[in-house]
Amino acid sequence: MSAPRTSTTGSTRRRRALPMAALAITLVTASTALTACGGGSGGGSASGPLKVWVRGAGDSQKAYQMVFDGYTRKTGVKVQLFMTNTDFETKLNAAAAAHKLPDVVIDDGSQLGAFKSQGIITEVDQAKISGASQVSGAAWKSVADDQGKTYGVPFSAQANVLLVRSDWLKKVGMQPPKTWADLEKVAEAFTTQDPDGNGKNDTYGLAVPGSTQRGYLSWFWSNFLYQAGGNFLEPTGSGGFRSVIDSPQAVQAAQFLEKLYCTDKVVQPGALNNLTTDTNKAFQTGVAGMYLTGPYAYATMDATAVKGKYDVVAPPAGPKGTGSLAEGTTVYAMAGSKRAADFDALASYMVSPEAQKTGMTGVPTSTIVRLPINTTVDPATVHAGDPRWQVAQQVYAKSSTYEPVSAPGWETYRSDASESLNKMLSGCGDPGKTLASLDSQYRSLLKK
Amino acid sequence: MALTKDRPGGSPRSGRPRFPAGNRTPSAPRALPRWPRVATPWLFLAPVLVLFGVFKFWPTLWGMYLSFFEVRPYLGNRWVGWDNFSTAFHDAALRSAVEHTVVDALVTVAASALLGFGLALLLEGPARHLRILRTAAFLPVVTAMVAVAELWNTILYPGGYGTLNSLLGHLGLGPEPFLSSPHSSLASVMLIQVWKSAPYDMVIFVAGLAGIDRQLYEAAAIDGAGAWHRLRHVTLPSLRPVTTIVLTLGIIRGLRVFTEIYVLTGGGPAGSTETIVTYTYKQGIQNNQLGMASAVSTVLFLVTVLLTCLTLWWRRRKEA
Repeated sequence: MSAPRTSTTGSTRRRRALPMAALAITLVTASTALTACGGGSGGGSASGPLKVWVRGAGDSQKAYQMVFDGYTRKTGVKVQLFMTNTDFETKLNAAAAAHKLPDVVIDDGSQLGAFKSQGIITEVDQAKISGASQVSGAAWKSVADDQGKTYGVPFSAQANVLLVRSDWLKKVGMQPPKTWADLEKVAEAFTTQDPDGNGKNDTYGLAVPGSTQRGYLSWFWSNFLYQAGGNFLEPTGSGGFRSVIDSPQAVQAAQFLEKLYCTDKVVQPGALNNLTTDTNKAFQTGVAGMYLTGPYAYATMDATAVKGKYDVVAPPAGPKGTGSLAEGTTVYAMAGSKRAADFDALASYMVSPEAQKTGMTGVPTSTIVRLPINTTVDPATVHAGDPRWQVAQQVYAKSSTYEPVSAPGWETYRSDASESLNKMLSGCGDPGKTLASLDSQYRSLLKK
Repeated sequence: MALTKDRPGGSPRSGRPRFPAGNRTPSAPRALPRWPRVATPWLFLAPVLVLFGVFKFWPTLWGMYLSFFEVRPYLGNRWVGWDNFSTAFHDAALRSAVEHTVVDALVTVAASALLGFGLALLLEGPARHLRILRTAAFLPVVTAMVAVAELWNTILYPGGYGTLNSLLGHLGLGPEPFLSSPHSSLASVMLIQVWKSAPYDMVIFVAGLAGIDRQLYEAAAIDGAGAWHRLRHVTLPSLRPVTTIVLTLGIIRGLRVFTEIYVLTGGGPAGSTETIVTYTYKQGIQNNQLGMASAVSTVLFLVTVLLTCLTLWWRRRKEA
């Protein structure tokens, strides 16, 4: 290239070649924006191993494998497990487009509405699941669609609890919060009274996953919403839903969150971009002293320096009383599978006391069954000597509420709520107006 | 300058009358019959074209096709005509995403090109220490964006003990919220993009600088031109084609910015860093509106092609 190219033909050729090259580069690079990814294997063969896809990662693979090994020992049917956390839904979409769905999918209970409207899951006959009567009523309700039909079998349940730094409480001379007012007071003390004693003003009261991704903020805030006695959507009684997101109770819950963030300033910095991992870190590293989260956090937290330095209590009571977000893991029967009998057998095994116990303690670092959905299994006995599970069980049984996951396309409602709340917090805007405009968004979604 | 002197003398291609097929001499083996001559370049291109066809062009066209459907992978797609496009055009969130994308693209393209050019001037040359410095400067380009983003997350941590904030603290400033405030988040992600893409531009400029005929500088110096005049009248005009490449690539990169934003802010807070591609991702993957996501991608694709054509047209007009 260094030799001077001075012939006129060379320069015109170059002049023509350059734009063409640039155009080609454009076409190629720009087209990647349109390229969707896909992959994974699946299929609905009538024999051979049962294909099961699980959304999860890390040690839960071992835990699920233990459960499936138990099933294979009982029935002789082998399970082919595929597990990923990355782009799980995208891979499922690709499999659906190819009509090669796995036989069984194990995923969040909140996917029910989405899966159902995509037509990729099939109805489950409770009568064919042995041990169905041992499954708690609340858990069965969490897998019912808006018409009351069963779409899936519950495997695990959980409700959010409050993690509080016990050493910090001692330092500021306070008790774990029982009400919203207590929560504010403790959060303020944690923020202003240097509970870690390092002489720096670097601690905060509450860890909040405030990102809009996957609907985190809405998911977190729903605890406050239920404590205030509000909800997102309400069944109309005739198979549909109506929006109740702008109810006075919901506004109260939004005001409370905003007060913590904007007025009291007790939430960790950067919360509005934080996902679970970042928020976990804020609690683990002593940035924030309280964290409303699910009991699966016990294993995560106990693997870090914060182990033994926190108490687990029921979430604080709001105007309506104690409330907490309930969630679950569901075993879905996939459309197009020719293995209905094997699904029933697998689901029957997964709700059995044996499988539930394996899921709870088989792999200590991964509690794939957080709270048993089988009423004959007592989590406190299984987790002998760990009273934290008893707290979680009591909160779940007495005061928890599931999101309206049976609403078709529930993910969109959750994501819209997150966007609105995130906007409200970042600009310290009016909670009433925020929820009123969210309400009109919900109304137009409901019309579709 | 000597414009005609060093034309490759006696090249068989320079004469108009071609060698007739029967009159071939052993010294001119490339005078093949017409069709293999035409086919040869395509044969060489074929493997890449096939790969691109399968992994780029076909998915692109398929995406365009899907933008006219409500995509339901399992139940079968439902034709909705222009609905996806009109929903997208009426979505305020997309409008603000477009604004952010345009601002982001303009600022980062200009800043990276300027900074890259400055770096290129400083680091051009064959000396070994320059080569080491160039390699060091190029490192951000080859580092995985996700890792880079995590690193910047720590540097820009909004609390008083974030890396940058503790430095600011020593100067009696801050703490600044950086990524966590809607007022500073876009500027912060742009800063990181410039940090990552300026060295890339630098390398292209270094190549361009190396290609400039040294005699031009000597002649200009003899004519009494100072450093500034040599830069203004010799370097810059000679770099015009290279600048076009840098700007074109920069604009494309700017329009489809995704990874850094997705990892750093996820489009937040309050949608202040939402760009077209993060919006598309949310619609397609999170909200399962693949048809609508395809529609937005199609528009983005067409706009990118249009902008590239405009850049080329502008450059050609300048050259003429």
